[in-house]
Amino acid sequence: MAIIETKNLTYTYPGGTTPSISDISLTIKKGEFITLTGPSGCGKTTLCRCFNGLIPHFYSGKLEGDLVVKDLRVIDHSISNLARHVGLVFQNPENQLFALSVEKDVAFGLENVGMPREEIRKRVDWALQMTGIENLRERAPHELSGGQQQRVAIASVLAMQPDVMVLDEPTSFLDPLGAEKIFDVINELNKKLDITVILVEHRLDLASKYTDHVIVMDKGKVLFDGGPREIFASEEVRMTGVGIPKAVMLYQALKDEGIHLKEVPITSKEATQLIREIIIHDRS
Amino acid sequence: MSVFEGLRFRRVSSPIHKLDPRVKFVYVCTAFVVAVMFNELIPLLILFFIQIPFILTARVQREWIRSMKGASLLALIIFVTNLVSRYLYTGHVWSVPLVEYSLGMTFRFIVLVESFSIFFLTTSPDHLSLALEQSHVPYELCFAFTTAVRFVPVLAEEAQTIMDAQRARGLELDRGNFIKRVKNYIPILIPLIVNSIRRSLQLAEAMESRAWGASKKRTNLYILKLRGGDFGIILFSLLTLSIAIYAKRYILIPSIFAFLPI
Ligand SMILES: Nc1ncnc2c1ncn2[C@@H]1O[C@H](COP(=O)(O)OP(=O)(O)O)[C@@H](O)[C@H]1O
Ligand SMILES: [Mg+2]
Repeated sequence: MAIIETKNLTYTYPGGTTPSISDISLTIKKGEFITLTGPSGCGKTTLCRCFNGLIPHFYSGKLEGDLVVKDLRVIDHSISNLARHVGLVFQNPENQLFALSVEKDVAFGLENVGMPREEIRKRVDWALQMTGIENLRERAPHELSGGQQQRVAIASVLAMQPDVMVLDEPTSFLDPLGAEKIFDVINELNKKLDITVILVEHRLDLASKYTDHVIVMDKGKVLFDGGPREIFASEEVRMTGVGIPKAVMLYQALKDEGIHLKEVPITSKEATQLIREIIIHDRS
Repeated sequence: MSVFEGLRFRRVSSPIHKLDPRVKFVYVCTAFVVAVMFNELIPLLILFFIQIPFILTARVQREWIRSMKGASLLALIIFVTNLVSRYLYTGHVWSVPLVEYSLGMTFRFIVLVESFSIFFLTTSPDHLSLALEQSHVPYELCFAFTTAVRFVPVLAEEAQTIMDAQRARGLELDRGNFIKRVKNYIPILIPLIVNSIRRSLQLAEAMESRAWGASKKRTNLYILKLRGGDFGIILFSLLTLSIAIYAKRYILIPSIFAFLPI
């Protein structure tokens, strides 16, 4: 079942002369873990802004084509209405927390929609628990590390119980360990709660082990749309310079040497497994 | 950035911090009214001393002393002005009541600063905003208030970073006369302002994405409820006020020098 469907989506920022995204046609199914990638300035953030209606309601400009999210045409619904279905986590963790305590921040969206207090309390506790930050609930945002702040941002979006969670380079301000934790949290939300995840990440090698569906963009257009194993064969994608996983490079190197693995590995664990198979096969 | 340090509320858990901010405000108002009612030194001294236990219970004595130090210059000015003007007014004679009167005026000011600083030192901005909201102040205003407080440390840090960066490029901040020094800060202010505008756009985007303004009837995770201690403070305020009114009407307040061996 498609949860997001775009047809020939084209958008130009106000005052812009060329479209920042053009002719985007995508189908995203419920429960998928999507990695959206591509070089800087290719329009990833712009596309994310379309998913929850920031474009065209917050940024005016010219939007053409069709975008339907959870059976709602984005053009016809307000951002606040779409916010119940699509949560957006931004790149800079600092500029998306407003309250003076973590708990209050997680409650912000629920308060806005006028949910009864008891229900807010339950949802806040649940979201804090899911993201593993219950111990931070009384803290002020400036007392937290970047990784903790980003987990608060995720919790605040999660508390709205959205169908889709869009995360725009959530780890680009974080150290590798913090990034790893964020990926684990996102993965868990996707697998346990069946939330559709759209993760924007240009270090594809970090995200690929969680992903079922990769979209690569370049210069405002979709360059590739498919499974993570197919993508790496594409010369076109390699030209854009997206970070290809080490395991895939190994596959390529072995192939050049005349050693064919059964399939393209994404993680080092998978690569080890495939190589072991070959060795065992050779011995017998 | 010690200016910003002072604005940073320190989270302490004490019975005074837990009081309802509205009740604390009632108390501040009471202290204000009583302080204005009296010119005499003795009641103002009493008022000064009965507030000390609150400060100790709240464990904010260090901050409180700092704020009193900040007010001391103004207090001195008030004392001297009163002394001189009274002196001129009462026919150029120095007398003991003259000094007592001026001291009284000074203590009135000190008592006001004291009670306001107790209020602000023991009320978290969060709590204050909640109190404003529940007093039907428009939510947008309360939100602007808490967001401003939230970004004080962030901006302070940013200003520091920009200053360091500009210094590293050879900017000398503490050189020249007053006007030159003010001018020196322009390369600090411009990036700070540009950054703040960018930040505010990102904040607006994030707010919109979290259903800002979705419902006219916004709810709140917290609610302020009056508890035992709050009623205690209300009672205390009423009692102070009644005693003050009684004293004002029926008691001739003696000079403090009646008790001092001079
Ligand atoms: N708020 C904006 N106003 C005008 N142009 C913008 C705005 N945001 C992005 N753009 C332009 O749109 C293009 C795509 O940018 P963006 O979506 O941010 O790319 P990415 O997130 O992939 O780095 C860029 O050329 C950028 O200059
Ligand atoms: Mg971007």
